[in-house]
Amino acid sequence: MTTTTSPPPAVQGPVSGGHPAPRYRRFLGLGRELWLQYAVIIFLAILVLAPVVPTLYQSLLDRPLYEAGGVLSLNNYVRLFTEAGFGKVALNTVLFAGLTTVLSLVLAVPMAIVVVRTKLPGGRILAAAMQWPFFISSLILGFGWIMMYGPSGFVSVKVQQILGHLPWNLYSIPGMALTEAVALAPIAYTFCANALRQSDASLESAAQVCGAGPLRIIFQVILPMLRPPIVYSSILVISMSVETLSVPLLYGQPVNIQVFSTFLFKNGLQSINPDYGVLGAASALILVVTIGLVVLQAKLLKDAQRFVSVRGKATRPRTLDLGWLKWITLCAVIFYVVMGALVPIVGLIMRSFTLVFSPLQSPLKSLTMNNYDRVFTYAAYVQSIKNSLIVAALGAVIVSFVALLAVMVARRSTFRFRRAVEYLALAPQAMPGIIVGIGFFWAFAYAPFGSGQLVQGTLWALIIAFGLRALPSGFGSLAPSIMQIGQELDNAARVAGADWIKTFSRILMRLLTPAFAGALILTFVTLLKEYSPAVFLGSADTNIIGTTMLELWVQGNTGSVAALATIQIAITAAFVAIAGLLLKGRSNDA
Amino acid sequence: MPDVKVSQLNKHFGDNTVLEDVDFTIRDGEFFTLLGPSGCGKSTTLNCIAGLEQPTSGTIAVGDESFVDTSRRVFVPPEGRNLGMVFQSYALWPHKTVAGNLAMPLQIRRIGKDEQRRLIDDALEKVGLKHLRDRFPHQLSGGQQQRVALARALVYSPTVLLLDEPLSNLDAKLREQARAWLKRLQSELGITTVYVTHDQDEALALSDRIAVMSGGHMLQVGTPVEIYETPATAEVAAFVGRCNFLEATIAEVTNTGAVVTLAANGQSLMVETDKTAQVGQTVTVAIRPEQLRLCAAETSGVNTLDTEVLSVSYLGSRYEYDVKLGDHVVQVVCDRGGITGPVRLSVEPDACLLYPEADVLSDEAQELLTVAS
Repeated sequence: MTTTTSPPPAVQGPVSGGHPAPRYRRFLGLGRELWLQYAVIIFLAILVLAPVVPTLYQSLLDRPLYEAGGVLSLNNYVRLFTEAGFGKVALNTVLFAGLTTVLSLVLAVPMAIVVVRTKLPGGRILAAAMQWPFFISSLILGFGWIMMYGPSGFVSVKVQQILGHLPWNLYSIPGMALTEAVALAPIAYTFCANALRQSDASLESAAQVCGAGPLRIIFQVILPMLRPPIVYSSILVISMSVETLSVPLLYGQPVNIQVFSTFLFKNGLQSINPDYGVLGAASALILVVTIGLVVLQAKLLKDAQRFVSVRGKATRPRTLDLGWLKWITLCAVIFYVVMGALVPIVGLIMRSFTLVFSPLQSPLKSLTMNNYDRVFTYAAYVQSIKNSLIVAALGAVIVSFVALLAVMVARRSTFRFRRAVEYLALAPQAMPGIIVGIGFFWAFAYAPFGSGQLVQGTLWALIIAFGLRALPSGFGSLAPSIMQIGQELDNAARVAGADWIKTFSRILMRLLTPAFAGALILTFVTLLKEYSPAVFLGSADTNIIGTTMLELWVQGNTGSVAALATIQIAITAAFVAIAGLLLKGRSNDA
Repeated sequence: MPDVKVSQLNKHFGDNTVLEDVDFTIRDGEFFTLLGPSGCGKSTTLNCIAGLEQPTSGTIAVGDESFVDTSRRVFVPPEGRNLGMVFQSYALWPHKTVAGNLAMPLQIRRIGKDEQRRLIDDALEKVGLKHLRDRFPHQLSGGQQQRVALARALVYSPTVLLLDEPLSNLDAKLREQARAWLKRLQSELGITTVYVTHDQDEALALSDRIAVMSGGHMLQVGTPVEIYETPATAEVAAFVGRCNFLEATIAEVTNTGAVVTLAANGQSLMVETDKTAQVGQTVTVAIRPEQLRLCAAETSGVNTLDTEVLSVSYLGSRYEYDVKLGDHVVQVVCDRGGITGPVRLSVEPDACLLYPEADVLSDEAQELLTVAS
């Protein structure tokens, strides 16, 4: 920004009784908005780089960061592949991520077409139900699947009774991929469904007029149109399945199948004498992969927007009638929702109220509140619920506020580095939770003046790490709302005499209140689901629901795990309900 | 009130040049219009004056105060310029009442509550909306919103009023009335006004002076009469009002102008001009449809052309004829209907505008104006 270097000439009133423009104070020759904008970018840069830089540095050091006399070398990377057996881990990860992506597309794409573009009984309810798995942490979904479909799960035992043998093995890479696909399919579904809703329905009408039947229209008109969202969402699914910890940890641990995240978990946490060099090298490699994927995805999305046919005027899409096929597709959709999400969650909730949960004995016979009693009698468990709530509530406020500032600077200012602000705010997308945990662990250990020691082991450490991970969702939920507010409203305020900060406080903040509430709830749910950074950053005093569940699971205390999971689901459900009400109120306003 | 001086204004977006060496001075109290097709740079020019966009180079000054001077690295942000602006979408803040919208600029200027109330009432009275002061913007009609936006831009007595297509969102009937009302209000207030529009009728009706822009260039600055009757270039003639463009070559140079041979049918035409021309040069002759007269086929005299009526359209107050001149369609406005068959066109030599060979019509328009001879 060019700034006045000569003293600005005095403003004369144009006519008698004129009111000259207000003067704004400047600090060191820069307007106050520039100070704020620089503060935002520096804060984000520190936050994002804090876990990354120590990780990269550690990957090149021959001894732990905090020990003096370290020598830089590439030795860690060599040892990673020779001694540590990282090659096998990488192969497993590729298989797992690939299979997850294929399966989630197989689930999501037909469902998006069927729900959005065809006449389906109960389509609206199904569209809403498709989003359910999104709100449930994949850790809880994993528990639910094991309790129903695991080797001694409820459904498995029943099937074994009937068939004499169990035709599937959940504790395998396809098993992991299927569970993860159920958890991630809503992402692919959302992208495809949005693209279908926005695309021009007259393309289909044109095909219909030419005499094409519904199936031909689906394969020759709709599917080709879906290529961009399919490509984009599959990259997103790949990067998310590369970083996920829950399902590979729960399924892979007993049978010793390792992927990236469980490799870090095992080498960083479970070994008595963790090899920090190898850990750093592995983290650095994984970061390169996830960052590469996110960059690719951003690039593709930019191009994709060009050829998705979006029109300003909402044309009510005409839906196709599939005839008898619709009943088959309806069954498929219901099967996914019921078997993928509903049965495991209901099973989990039922498990929390029973002593023994097996088809061999009616669960109603052993109804009990014991599992909850145990959770509520131990102070440590109660504390972990409190901690989760504190982290989620405080974190949601902080993250939403930071995201709001970042969106304002990135999308509504003339700041020279506004693109960099946006990249920084979205960068945590590429940072696996477990690496954020390791990175901050090192960052706190290495922070100047012992400032890290103040944070290390407190809830603030979790709020910082979880908050960083939730920042992209906060940014993503606020950015479209800000873009919907016409730039002319800002311009009008600027011309009327408000500077950038006053324009924000007087005009935009009021108009953004509903969007801010939405961001609060979204980040709250995201933070409540989060646990993987806490695996490294948590201490005995700062356990949260997720880490406590993992501990209880390892102890074989499934009943209490189910009880805690049920509590977390209940909290999430309450908040999603509030979100629904708020969003409804918002659309009534408009 | 001071003059607005814009000189050597340039604006680039990457490799894309949006404004190139734009120069003009707006006189005190003048109603000045920037006219041009969309994408010509008129809104960019206005935004540069407002401070909403930074020019790549150039200076903008109001009176003695320099708003932009890229050579001295001066840039006054919009809030420091004390201008009033009405936006195309009106940009009324939806969470504030009419009075609240008007109060915001006054609150920012730290004006006392009583004074605020007086100024708001004054401004609302000027636009005739005092009774609606407690309504919210969405409770107002489009025309009322536009007047509130104007009141908001005037309430703090800005130095210059900037209007960015303020009438384009009104429906056609209301637009004409709003235009007349705006003209009266501006001359009563005597405030220097910069108006941006792509609507030539609006520009002609409202302005003291018009600047015609195209492709980031200033084509002509002049009064509405100058712009319409003596367009500086064929492009201006094409954009302001309607015009027939005929290709021709100079056959003879006279002391008042030239005699040209029309490419369409080889007939010659006497043209009055003060431009110098050379024999043999290819030129474009521009004639407004209302300057052409339809006469009986046997009429003779200077500048009569043999044509044949192709079609006629009835437009209520007048008839519009398409006549065939060689292989070219020429449009003629006439107040008499029912003329058919061969006719002669006559035109005064001083109504013919002479330009160097110009390609102002799109290929598609050109094609539609060509018939088999």
